Amino acid sequence: MSRDADDKARFSELMETFAGPIRRLCAAYALGAADREDLFQDIFLAVWRALPGFRGDSSMRTWLYRIAHNVALTWQTRDRRRQSREQPLKNDVAVTGDMDLRRLALNHAIAGMNPADRTLTLLWLEGLSAAEIEDVTGVKSATVAVRLSRIRKQLNPIEVTP
Amino acid sequence: MTHDSLTAMWISEPPPSRQALLSAMDAVLNEDRAARDKDRWMQIAGGLAVALLCPALLWCAAHGVTPLVRGGYALMAAGTAILISTHWTYAAWSRKALPGPADSRSQLQKSAFLLARQATLMRTAPLCCAPVFIGTALIGTWIYQQRGATEAYFLWGLIAVAWFIVSVGGVSSGRKLDERRVRMERLLSDLT
Repeated sequence: MSRDADDKARFSELMETFAGPIRRLCAAYALGAADREDLFQDIFLAVWRALPGFRGDSSMRTWLYRIAHNVALTWQTRDRRRQSREQPLKNDVAVTGDMDLRRLALNHAIAGMNPADRTLTLLWLEGLSAAEIEDVTGVKSATVAVRLSRIRKQLNPIEVTP
Repeated sequence: MTHDSLTAMWISEPPPSRQALLSAMDAVLNEDRAARDKDRWMQIAGGLAVALLCPALLWCAAHGVTPLVRGGYALMAAGTAILISTHWTYAAWSRKALPGPADSRSQLQKSAFLLARQATLMRTAPLCCAPVFIGTALIGTWIYQQRGATEAYFLWGLIAVAWFIVSVGGVSSGRKLDERRVRMERLLSDLT
């Protein structure tokens, strides 16, 4: 198999594995459907470009989350994007049942956080440990633990809402 | 409900369909191809400008009818080389600043640093263009001496307008880049 075909196969596999988490990340950073698609595409474009350089020094998951969060944070600082971030939650989320209402509230709470807290929260919600979050963000794991504890308190009302 | 259930709720969303993934993958690969093609064409255009325009201007500088004309063409040749190398430098910094697999802190630091350099470069745009404009103005002076005032005034007017546009554009782009750098540094300080 040629290198290009090999990379494409790996890329396709990566997309299948991580499309869900990356979609959730995009939903937290970009509230409009078009922006979400743009961000999703930007992230996987960066992944595709970085793929030949992946040497397996870290796990594929933390490597991909590093790229994804870097793209999202950079995207956040762009002027034209920021305006769409300020928009209220779109009504393109079909709300059915308590679970979706809580999910909507969670999305809303995450969207209202500052980008740094949002990054830590998203990584925690995806099930990364404090050490892995340190690997992705460069923030010391002790600091991550303290900040996550504060964030969890903020999210308490969503947890107890029926 | 526990924190674990919050996590479970977060990841409970159904995954996107295979069809959607395939079309997203195609879109990514097409965008990458288009960006590479654009880069290649920019490099070819820059290379051609260096290979054709600079020698032509240098030839004119060597064989111009008067010292004024020779000086004008020499300045234009130097200015063209400066502009092309400035463009290549800016493009190289833009590529380096693209988000990669570094940790977020290092990435933001690097991007903010490169944005500061790009902003400085943009603010110096009027200076980088100066040799081309001054060289053309010298040719305008020769036209004034040999042909008449109307043509020379027209050329000087064009130079003034172009220089003004470049200056305003450069300063405005520099300010936008600086604003973005400030947002990035704020983000970095929030993160750490």
